[in-house]
Amino acid sequence: MKHIDVQPQPVLSFGRTFAIALRGVQYRLFRALVTVAVIAVAMAFLMNILSESLFKRVVAVAVRDEIRVSRQADHWIARLSVPQTAEEVIDDLAAAEPGTPASRELARFSGRDPAAIEQAGKQAAQAREYFRFFDDINYGRRRVLIGNAAGIGIFERLQDPEAQARFFESLGQMRAVRFIATPDGFRAFLASWPALREVVAAVREGQRQGIGQLHAKLDGRTVMAALADAEGAFGEAVRQAGFVLEPEEATSLAKQIRLSEHRHFIEDSLNVPEVRKAVAARKDVLPGDVSLDMIWGLLGHPDTAAWYRDLLAQHTSPPPGLDGDRLHEVARARGRSKLMVRAELITMGTGGGFMNIGPRMTWLAFVSMLVCTVGIANAMLMSVTERFREIATLKCLGALDGFIMTVFLIEAAILGLVGGVAGTLIGLVLGLGRMLAVFQSLLLELFPGGLLLQAAGISMVTGIALAAVAAAYPSLRAARLAPMEAMRIE
Amino acid sequence: MAKKEQAPDSAEKRVIIRTIGMKKLYRKGGQETAALRGVDVEIYTGEFISVMGPSGSGKSTFFNMIGALDSPSEGRVFIDEVDVAQLTAEELAFLRCRKIGYIFQSYNLIKYMTALENVTTPMAFGGVPDDDARKRGMEILGLVGLRERWFHRPIEMSGGQQQRVAIARALANQPAILLCDEPTANLDHHTGQEILDILQKLNKECGVTIICATHDHRMMNVCDRLMWIRDGSIERIARRDEVHVELAGID
Ligand SMILES: Nc1ncnc2c1ncn2[C@@H]1O[C@H](COP(=O)(O)OP(=O)(O)OP(=O)(O)O)[C@@H](O)[C@H]1O
Ligand SMILES: [Mg+2]
Repeated sequence: MKHIDVQPQPVLSFGRTFAIALRGVQYRLFRALVTVAVIAVAMAFLMNILSESLFKRVVAVAVRDEIRVSRQADHWIARLSVPQTAEEVIDDLAAAEPGTPASRELARFSGRDPAAIEQAGKQAAQAREYFRFFDDINYGRRRVLIGNAAGIGIFERLQDPEAQARFFESLGQMRAVRFIATPDGFRAFLASWPALREVVAAVREGQRQGIGQLHAKLDGRTVMAALADAEGAFGEAVRQAGFVLEPEEATSLAKQIRLSEHRHFIEDSLNVPEVRKAVAARKDVLPGDVSLDMIWGLLGHPDTAAWYRDLLAQHTSPPPGLDGDRLHEVARARGRSKLMVRAELITMGTGGGFMNIGPRMTWLAFVSMLVCTVGIANAMLMSVTERFREIATLKCLGALDGFIMTVFLIEAAILGLVGGVAGTLIGLVLGLGRMLAVFQSLLLELFPGGLLLQAAGISMVTGIALAAVAAAYPSLRAARLAPMEAMRIE
Repeated sequence: MAKKEQAPDSAEKRVIIRTIGMKKLYRKGGQETAALRGVDVEIYTGEFISVMGPSGSGKSTFFNMIGALDSPSEGRVFIDEVDVAQLTAEELAFLRCRKIGYIFQSYNLIKYMTALENVTTPMAFGGVPDDDARKRGMEILGLVGLRERWFHRPIEMSGGQQQRVAIARALANQPAILLCDEPTANLDHHTGQEILDILQKLNKECGVTIICATHDHRMMNVCDRLMWIRDGSIERIARRDEVHVELAGID
């Protein structure tokens, strides 16, 4: 006779559990492939967004300096031509850290001591906050509060006690508007405004005098032409006029100016009929169809650049130093700066957010993550629910709840791993291809290998984790039920 | 395996399955079906009992309850005097794995496993090493006449062959109780007889308690007692000799 003594069932070893799970995956290979495809697509999406954003991010960081340098010439020409507006001076005052060249320059123009400049800087920072507030509120409200005053005109207008009283009264009635300071704080600022106004005016007057002094030394040149000598006498004159021009900046400024002069010369050379005709003959087009892009194309190769140099020597008087190599160099620099401008445009809005890819991309990555979650959860849910009968049978044969969970988790992890790896690779290749088309050689210089590896890790782990979590819930539910109850769920 | 020591009608009968007021309601979409309406029954160790009843009378439901595969809506089930409701999940798994063998009406074989793997899976759960399991699995498959077909998947086998795999699987861990839901339904006369012989041998020689739902009248010749279920209640339980006397009387 058989006697029954009940004991707890021992746990099956991981190896055997794994073997059983693997058999299940093999048997349902087609179904599994569909699930893998869903995971792969989701992960490709995520990885694509991450990799493109990372490429953009590194490009953005890399081009920032180069772009600043290329804008240096414009910046200095403007500075040496007219004094800044009062609002620009306020911006500079607010931004100038004590002890920096910018701060020293402001002190010199205004004739104040550094402490006064620091004090004015604090006020200027407040003024900027108020500017921003008045820029942000809508037109109607602005009109009621300050009429049609703008910029420092706002502060001038509110110096009048009556206007000030009306302002605070109207502000009090605008429940929806949150003013950035307390009324008393703003009153104090308005009271201190004349002091700041004086500093600003002094700075502008200093600049005006410096510029006048400098223009006397132009000798009929344009400011731009004169700046080609930024490293020499003219640079010295700029310093004497009160502007802070560091030696390294002077060097790169002079280089920029020469580059832009040469560039203009090349562009102008197209207006010489003989040059135009010769290029047309070489390119086999009508003279009227010769374009600047053709010239830049010619200069892109050292041989044709030399040919063009001879052409220029024949029909124009090129500036000194503009030989074949230099022509080629100018063409390359132009190509580079075009690339920079495009890179700047495309990479706008990066920085901050997840992995520094920018808030917009972080949001996109987050949304794509949600889409992945839903897609993967759905795929796993289907593949588990259609197997409730199998789960029930295994339980009838003595399987523990933990065994069933483990089988499904292993299966999900296998699918997640395969789908995650495939998707990550697809997403990376797509992202790389798209970004290569945009940034070209720039991207290869900066290839962010480490960051990409990180991103790949993130998306693979996400794939596996999402698949596992999505499988865990339904299989846990099925495992907890009595076998026949699970069998009834179809 | 021990020799059978007791006849079911001997003086000291040992109860292996006892149900008290067992009821089962199925709820589906607000509708309630009473599959069992209060079943009180005692089944003795080493007994071979046939359960008869028209389709839909609640036989399969009864099997699920006494096999600890489902919980009754009301009432209690004792297996070897242990209240099934008191067992932990691990103990239930142990019970299902080693003490009870199930032959399901719908076989419930695992689709992706071969015949042999289907038979060895409960052994694996019971902790039998792989090699031993394979050897014993082949022996049991030989017992049901499927030794040559061990590598086939369920879909590659006929209904009768699948049923025999299901029987082999139920025998995997030498259970003390065998619950058979129409084990001969899909088998021809000859194979059915072979299965009956196996069951009878297990019952007589190894003392396995066998509870068998059937419409097969040959079963009457091998069982100790007969039980009729109708509409979720026990209509009648009788010893085989009593029934034979009656049948003789009718003749
Ligand atoms: N999952 C379910 N949901 C609702 N009702 C059910 C369910 N399973 C069984 N029933 C009902 O319970 C009753 C008993 O079913 P059961 O399967 O136990 O019958 P059976 O005696 O095994 O019949 P058969 O001889 O046809 O196998 C039937 O009326 C059936 O409709
Ligand atoms: Mg049935």
